[in-house]
Amino acid sequence: MTTTLSSTSPADADHPTPFTGTPELGQPGQVDAHDVCAWFGGRLVLETVDLVMEKSKVTALIGPSGCGKSTFLRIINRMHEVVPGAQLAGSVKLDGVDIYGPGQRAMETRRHIGMVFQKPNPFPAMTIAENVLAGLKFSRVSPADKDDLIEESLTKGGLWNEVKDRLGELGGALSGGQQQRLCIARSLAVKPRVLLMDEPCSALDPTSTLRIEQTIKEIASEVTVVIVTHNMQQAQRVSDYCAFFLAEENQPGRVIEAGKTGTIFGSPTDQRTFDYVNGQFG
Amino acid sequence: MTIDLKPSPARADRDVPAPLTLTRDYSTPDRIYRAGVRISGGGVFLLLVVIGIFLAWSGYPAFQQAGWKFFTRSGFQTLGAHPTFGVLASIVGTVEVAFVAMIVGAPVAIATALFLSEYAPLKTRRSLIAMIDLAAAIPSIIFGLWAVFELQPNVVGFSTWLSHHLAFIPFFKVVSPPLNASIFIAGLVVGIMIVPIVASICREVFSLAPAGEREAALALGASRWQMIRTVVLPFGRGGMVGAVMLGLGRALEETIAVSIILGGSFTVTAHILQKGGSTISQLIAVNFGSGGTLGLHDLLLCGFVLFLLTLVINLAASAIVNRSRSGAGVDL
Repeated sequence: MTTTLSSTSPADADHPTPFTGTPELGQPGQVDAHDVCAWFGGRLVLETVDLVMEKSKVTALIGPSGCGKSTFLRIINRMHEVVPGAQLAGSVKLDGVDIYGPGQRAMETRRHIGMVFQKPNPFPAMTIAENVLAGLKFSRVSPADKDDLIEESLTKGGLWNEVKDRLGELGGALSGGQQQRLCIARSLAVKPRVLLMDEPCSALDPTSTLRIEQTIKEIASEVTVVIVTHNMQQAQRVSDYCAFFLAEENQPGRVIEAGKTGTIFGSPTDQRTFDYVNGQFG
Repeated sequence: MTIDLKPSPARADRDVPAPLTLTRDYSTPDRIYRAGVRISGGGVFLLLVVIGIFLAWSGYPAFQQAGWKFFTRSGFQTLGAHPTFGVLASIVGTVEVAFVAMIVGAPVAIATALFLSEYAPLKTRRSLIAMIDLAAAIPSIIFGLWAVFELQPNVVGFSTWLSHHLAFIPFFKVVSPPLNASIFIAGLVVGIMIVPIVASICREVFSLAPAGEREAALALGASRWQMIRTVVLPFGRGGMVGAVMLGLGRALEETIAVSIILGGSFTVTAHILQKGGSTISQLIAVNFGSGGTLGLHDLLLCGFVLFLLTLVINLAASAIVNRSRSGAGVDL
């Protein structure tokens, strides 16, 4: 019943060439998702999502648990296919190039579209500095000045002042909030065009949450941010655009409404959106 | 200079109470359970000590007869007026067999474990794991027979090739053919034998590598192999060493398969490709009951030596396991 990966026609005359090199790295990119569906073990969990995530903007994906927000997020950087039994359909384009198109490698896509997870996951046996450089090591890129890059990335992640004197300590020795900021710095060090964040603050204290929200605002000029959050206030504080996901009973998740954050929270057109953002359910 | 210390007013009229002595009030089932695990736990330890003492005690007469020469001579000539016997060639043979087994077995086992936990398609993974676990249960006599009739005839050619091309390495030099019934072939069989158990444990350890860190590596653009090198292998290092050491223990003590292969000549040799050599367990198994009273004492003393050898190696192994865990095992 399902085709695993649908792709745009390879014979298409104006089919863009695969992105491979680094020149575009560091430039914020635009993500166009079209007709995205997802299955787990044959069960449809996400149905025909069309969403544009604008360049240099912060897009928040909101909605109750189990509505497919995280699944959609993981489809954007090809992490969905890591899960055994997961399938998907539709197309996701990064600046016009289908990341599921022929010849596209998942590894390459993930270097352009980074991800920060719900639970902080630094490499515990690596030092703070090594953690920051881990992504570059994977892509076998050696930066012109490692120390500069470490400082730059940790500063963007809002962690530099706390760790500048102990870069040689293990990443696992930091507190939870610091670990998460280290993970953000690590993702930014490879200069992705898009940064996906899957409830990055849900395991953190209010102070750390605030630091991370500041970080999101600061980096938005250099990298497009897509953030999944359960926190309505957070969505309002950090995002420019909002998409409301909902899975009604025995139905797969769908996007009910998407638009400017002010509109979604101020004057949504759909009653369900209104109920959700006003705390009626979820 | 003196400082006039005054007790704080609150303390002045109050004595510090003595620490409470907490009585542990166990329920009856708890008491029975505690007694049970204590007895079985202590029993295992006691058994180890008793076996050691028994071996040393029963082997002592042989040591009295041979003195320290027991460790520098080789052979099993315990009957007659001038008995000569010793364990040197067997110690050397044991170590050589174990060495060959580890060189052959450990990499294959670790690669198998990685394949099972990281690469094998999900559909076939389960049955492959079951097969490996089943292979661990094959009796060693089966391996021995298979080795004599199938492996050995096919390996002699490879041994010959090694002896021709790598003779500059002393181990691969052949002074006196033939090339069957060699330490190398015995080590090869034992190496194959330990693959399933080592692979099984390693796979278990690898599959416990934290999913969050695996995804972190992949999301940073790591290839599968880079992810394994960054996350799975460092995480599994302790368990891997433990599994390999368990295999080594088995390689040291393997008796029956080795006895079938080796002819049992008591020459100390580094030339593992040529016929000959013996191991301690093979010496004991082959000669049991044939050397009279002194022979029995001799074999028991050999047993004591093997006992000490495995003990030392296992202690060393546990030290390595403990050390490799710290640092790599920081849990999130």
